[in-house]
Parts: sequence; structure tokens; C-alpha cells
Amino acid sequence: MSIATTMTPSRKKGPISLLTMLCWSTAILFFLPIAWIIATALKPKNTVLDIPPKFFFMPTFQNLLDAINFSNTLAYFVHSLIYSFTSVFLAIFVSFLAAYSFSRFKPAGTEFLMFLLLSTRFVPAAAFVIPFFQLFNLLQLKDSFLGLIIFYTMFSIPFSVWILKGFIDGVSTKFDETGMVYGATRSHIMFKVILPQVRSGLVAAFVFNIIFVWNEFLFNFQLGGLKTYGIPVGLFTSITKGGQVDWSFVASIGTLYVLPLALVIFFFQKYLLVGLTFGTVRGEV
Amino acid sequence: MTKKVLDFESKIKEKKTSVASTNKRMSWLLLTPVLIFFGLMNILPTIWMLGLSFYDYTLTSSKGATFIGVTNYMDFVKNEQLSQSVTRTFLFLLIAIIFQTLFGVLIGVLFWKNDKMPGRRFALTLFFTPMVVTPIATALFWKLILDPTFGVINYFLTSLGLSKTDFLTDTNLAFPTLIVVDTWMWTPFMALMTLAALGSVPKAELEAASVDKLPIRRQITTVIWPHAKFILMLGILLRSIDAFKTMDLTYIMTNGGPGDRTELIALSLYRFAFKSFKLGYSSAVSVFLLFVAIALTAIYLYVLNARKKAEEQS
Repeated sequence: MSIATTMTPSRKKGPISLLTMLCWSTAILFFLPIAWIIATALKPKNTVLDIPPKFFFMPTFQNLLDAINFSNTLAYFVHSLIYSFTSVFLAIFVSFLAAYSFSRFKPAGTEFLMFLLLSTRFVPAAAFVIPFFQLFNLLQLKDSFLGLIIFYTMFSIPFSVWILKGFIDGVSTKFDETGMVYGATRSHIMFKVILPQVRSGLVAAFVFNIIFVWNEFLFNFQLGGLKTYGIPVGLFTSITKGGQVDWSFVASIGTLYVLPLALVIFFFQKYLLVGLTFGTVRGEV
Repeated sequence: MTKKVLDFESKIKEKKTSVASTNKRMSWLLLTPVLIFFGLMNILPTIWMLGLSFYDYTLTSSKGATFIGVTNYMDFVKNEQLSQSVTRTFLFLLIAIIFQTLFGVLIGVLFWKNDKMPGRRFALTLFFTPMVVTPIATALFWKLILDPTFGVINYFLTSLGLSKTDFLTDTNLAFPTLIVVDTWMWTPFMALMTLAALGSVPKAELEAASVDKLPIRRQITTVIWPHAKFILMLGILLRSIDAFKTMDLTYIMTNGGPGDRTELIALSLYRFAFKSFKLGYSSAVSVFLLFVAIALTAIYLYVLNARKKAEEQS
């Protein structure tokens, strides 16, 4: 009986329960590999490969500074910023128009189009790399921001349409009807009446599309070039820098990459579910 | 009098049809940008890929593309290496997802039971981070941790009196290691889905069940499971789809090796295209993967609709 009461979720105060300790140790266990990378980045360079490994040391920021100052690092970050933000903005704008149309007018073939859109996200990226590679060569879009932005806009559209349609479906059509009765234009209804009510859908679509584009490696690697490579390519090439692998450098780039991501997960945790299910599942976690 | 009424009625009808037709025009107008992107970036490459799959086209050979019909597909079916790679992918998917679901449900229930724990959001941040890290970074991180000479895991092994092991090049250990890393990465996702699944159980029903002092087993089978099963299923399906796509991770961590012990289908495909430049042949493999993806999407949407129906009924 007493066990049953301590296990109920409504328990609020008192000493830290066994359950809380279990939850915390699980969380820390899963974070350990990443913590190890951060620790490696903060270790003095000459102690990184020590056996036994140093678990206690004076942290230094020298490796991180070196990594930032290394030739291409900043460029990779800037490139990623340019193509991810531009394409996700563009994708969300056109997706909002489409989602509104799907939700309100339900044109013939809505279901089928939604199905096709989702399926494009389920194909292994490698399957599409060849046609894109040739297409980009043909149109001379290789290693250009224009090409990458067009590609990543399409890459972000399926998820954006799915998530925004779900949110617009949740807004009563009475708003549209009332607007029409008062003689408002369609664009006024869409952008001034409906848009503010689907704000959380927009935030979720924005945050997670940025993460997806930010993390995408294969197409950036194959369709981009020195002028447009982003962070994943930066990570990929960090291991091949010079002859021997410079683990301080790899760990530093990794840390610079992973910290903003962890911050995003902290601040946008409630959107994590809808984000990682491509807008198909909503709920509290 | 009647004429007036008729006039009025026909006017209303006219207005209705004109509204309907403007609406129709508007609906397609709004869809146009997305359709253009979709046509340009999906339909076009797909058609290209379909066409290419019927040709013998190797970039490195000088003879250009020649039409060979379904030969590429026949080769694909007969190619033992590829069919092994497909089997291996399914094996990987199955084992990895069983572990991820098991651990995920367990951890999900822990966090669900403990929804008021101090620092829950921070703990969840630590726990969830592995799944949003790009597989490239994951692969690099684990390469450092598992390194045979200075990796921290091997340090613990040797201090326990065990011998040093090179996990990523050992023929027997590489595949299980890949599954361990994948499980580390994706257990948080299954826990997230478990949390969502449990969250989808109406609170009133849960309370009623606990007021009635329903034994926990009955609570699970009659109250929780009927609601929670859908989201859990969707989670497993999404994981299957993702596992099927796994490429970056194996590319960096093992490059399919040792031998072909960790070569999954997406990586094989990549190699055909960019190492041996057999574009026709790899397009045939791509078409196969495209059909798998479409089938998986259909199953996914089926479960999604089943959930919608069940919700509307209750």
C-alpha cells in the first residue's frame, strides 16, 4: 500500500523519491556520451589521448577557440544559417497557403497529395541523390545557394504542410464564414484571422525544419561545394583534417554543433513530439 | 409573385455556383507554389530515376546510355550482395526496434509516473538530445568513445581485466555495436512516443479506473492500451522507416565494414552511385526503395486514420 502511494504521479513534496532518482540517472546515462565529447573539447590538447583518460582536469577554451578560428569552421556555420533559414521561411510560407487550401477548400485529390508529400520524406535520401546530382549539373545549380535553397525548400514542405493543415483543421470554419459575411478579403482572413491562431504550428514547423535542414548531410555533400558546405560536412571533414585525427578539433566542432541543439530542445520541448512525427501526432509529453 | 420568387431563387443559385467556382479557383491558386516545387523537385527526379533504371549507364564508361529494359531489375534480384544487404537491413531494423521499444516504453512510463519531478524539463533535455544529433556527429562521437587505443570504453574494459576490443572492426562485434549505438540514439524517441501515447489516455477514464480500484493489469488492458496503442504503433512505424533509411551513421562509423557486416541497403545504394558510378543500376535499386517507402507511408496513414476513427467514436 505504501509503495502504491509513493508511486502515484500526484506526489509533490518530500525527499527525492526513488522514481526521481531513476529518471535522473537514466537521463544522465543517455547524455554521458555527449558529455564526454564536451569534456574532450575542454581538455588541454596534450592530455586528450591519455591512458587512463583524465576525468578531472582544468577546463580550457583554447580548443574551441582554435576550432572557430580554423579556416572553414565559421564559413560552415554561416552557410548552414543562410540556406536553412531562407529555405525554411520560404517553405513555411508556401506550405501555409497549401495547408489552408487543403483544410478549407478540400480540392479533389487532397488526401492523395498529402499521402504523396509524406511519402517523399520516407524515401532513403540516397535513392534521390542521383537524379538530383544530374539535374543540378544540368541546370548548373551545383555549389550554389540558389540550388540548395530550392532543394531544402522542397525538403521542408511536406512536414510543414502536414503540421499546418493539422493546426488549421483545429480552427473553426466559423472564423472564415464570419469574415466573409463582413466582406473581408480571403488574404485578410488567412493572414490576419487564421494565421495568429496557428502560431504554435508555425513555431514547431520552423524549429524542426531548421533542425532537419541543419542536420542534413548527403545532399549538402553531393549538391554543395566549398562555397556552400554546411555544418554536417564540416563535421565529416573534421576527421580527415591533416594526417592523424585531431580529436580535440573533432570534439570542439561537435560541441559547437551540439550545444545550440540542446538549448533548442530545452526551450521548445513541447513541440518535440509534433516535430519528430512530421506533424502527424500532437499531444502533451 | 411566383416569378419574383423564382427569380430570387435562381439568383441565389447563381451566386452559390459563382462562389463555388471562385473557391475552386482560389484553392488551386493557393496550391500552385507547392505543386511547382513538388513537380520540380519530386515528380521530375522520380521520372528521371524511373527512366534511368531501364538503361545501362555508367558514368565512367565512354559508351553512354543504352536501353536494356528490365535487366537492371533482374540483376538486382539476382545480386546476392544486395539481397544480403536488404536482409541485413531488416534484421537491423527488427532487433534495434525491439530494444528501443522495450527501453523506450520502460523509461517513458518512469517519466510519465513522475510528471512533477524536480528539474523534469532539464532531465528530459539531457535524455532527448541524442535523437536530434545528426548521425554524422553521433558516428564521430562513438568512434572516439569506442577507439581501441584511447577510447574510454576500452579503458573501462581493461581496468576490469578484459582485453582491448576494436568494436567497429571486429567481424562479430561491429553489427551488435551498430545496434547499440542506434538504440542509444532512438530509445529517447520511443520514450517520447510512449509519453505521448500515455498522454492520449483521457484523464477522466484513468481517474475512474483508480477510483474503482481496478487492478493495474486490468487498467492497462481496458483503459490505457485501447488509447495508447495507436501512437505507440505510429512510433514503431516511424522508427522502421528511419531505420530503413539509415546511411550516414554506417557511412562514417564503419563504412559498411568489416567486410560487409554493417552494410545496410541505403549505403549499398550510395556506393553503387558514387563509387562505381553505375547510375542505371542504382536507379533500379532506388525505384525499389521508393516502392518500399510508399508502402510504409500507406501503412502509417492507415494507422493514423484508424486512430482518428477510434477517437471520433469515443
